[in-house]
Amino acid sequence: MKRAIRMDENDHVATVLNDVQPGDEIGIHDTENLLLYTMTALERIPYGNKVALCALEAGDLLIKYGVPVGLCTRRIACGQLVHVHNVKSRTVDIPPAIRREIIRQMEIQEVEV
Amino acid sequence: MSMTFTGYQRPNGAVGIRNRLLLIAVDECCEGIVRTIARSFEEAVVLTNWYTCMLGGNEETFHQMIAVGQNPNVAGVLVVAMGCGSILPSQIADPLRTAGQAVDTLTCQQAGGTRAAVELGIQKLQALKALADKHPKVEVPVSGLVVGVKCGGSDTSSGIASNPSVGAAVDRLVDLGATCIGGELFELQGCEVLLTRRAATPEVAAKIEKLIANEQSRWGVKGTDVETMSVGNCVGGLTTIEEKSMGALHKMGSRRIEDILEINKYGVDRPDHPGFYLSEASMLCGAAGVNYAAMGAHLILWTSGAAGFNNAIVPVIRVSGNKDLINPDIDVDATGIMDGTCGVGDVAERILLKVLETASGAPTAIEGIGDSTMTLYQKDQRVETLLGLTCAKMR
Repeated sequence: MKRAIRMDENDHVATVLNDVQPGDEIGIHDTENLLLYTMTALERIPYGNKVALCALEAGDLLIKYGVPVGLCTRRIACGQLVHVHNVKSRTVDIPPAIRREIIRQMEIQEVEV
Repeated sequence: MSMTFTGYQRPNGAVGIRNRLLLIAVDECCEGIVRTIARSFEEAVVLTNWYTCMLGGNEETFHQMIAVGQNPNVAGVLVVAMGCGSILPSQIADPLRTAGQAVDTLTCQQAGGTRAAVELGIQKLQALKALADKHPKVEVPVSGLVVGVKCGGSDTSSGIASNPSVGAAVDRLVDLGATCIGGELFELQGCEVLLTRRAATPEVAAKIEKLIANEQSRWGVKGTDVETMSVGNCVGGLTTIEEKSMGALHKMGSRRIEDILEINKYGVDRPDHPGFYLSEASMLCGAAGVNYAAMGAHLILWTSGAAGFNNAIVPVIRVSGNKDLINPDIDVDATGIMDGTCGVGDVAERILLKVLETASGAPTAIEGIGDSTMTLYQKDQRVETLLGLTCAKMR
């Protein structure tokens, strides 16, 4: 089982602490390292990235650390990677060229759900 | 654990944790001469004004050069100018002398050529070193320390492991009567409410809001791209500046914010009593090292996903929780938080111990090896005026 940490109980995402492959079972832990529940990854999520703990719609606020940290730009399914391809900043966004470079380096597949 | 450290007693009452000799090149033309002088001294650190030899419009840099010369880790200062610019060595040296610092000046054009200037500079620095070597070692309580807090090369482990453990160490230090300073205001976007809630007074809260709003205006000019999240930040798992900010905020602990510290064309603020302060220290590491030196910090706690950053005057303690990037550069290993083998409190205790060791003279993992540039960063006065930005404090 792969490990992930959820920083606040209201969070929409948990941070994976192993490289996760599609179909992997992920144990969601709280900050005291208590196992809360397990779920299944829908896609590849590299170490340190975020997995969606629930389904999100375009326009939804993304909650992490218990507070909004961005805006969803497309529909996100529970178990998908949450990153620059489906979430943007509400204050100063990443320039498009830099965003494309991040997606290229990380080999993120931009699939519609 | 004894909550004291052994530092160098300065004649003006300050206590430093290193005996550095600072060479200030007030213009870029004399920098080569200054570097040649510095080569003869292990303790020498060069601070160069690369902007211009003119003073008008560069007052922030001018004030920072003076303030760095007053850092407690600096035991003596040699101020050097080529001789044809607007900044006279005496303009830097006089306030330093008034503050009780050992200082001398060198104007290269009056020395009779470059070689003669180097020779004279070496003689002057030797005299300053002789004075510095006489500063006695004294044992003082941890409450005498001023510690800057900074993050860099942030990744997902920063917000989970290194920042929370440094935050816990900052709270311990403040509770022991020490002074801690945070900064990187642009990276506190979205954290305003959490910060103003910690302000000592409503006036301090208003100043915090103003400083963060100023920083947002500077970096959010329509029609200009600004890369506030590096590609490395994002590949590491951070998605937005708000997410990075919330993770970064953890390293500032939870104690009351006594006041703000500004760095601008009017001068450089320093803490006037113990506690936690929020400052204008830059989000850019090299510049922040110099900012913290100017504000009087003895050392810096630096949280990172990666390795690296160092400062020649203010020792940097590197804390990382990234198991893939951890290497011998890291002073405190926080990876146990990531794999569930240790807690934030354990790492905070190790950080506190490392602070005391470093303050007593133990070198950090890469001290003296590969120092970062002493970057003198300043806000452009023309841009400040065009954006209508003013200081947060009444001057």
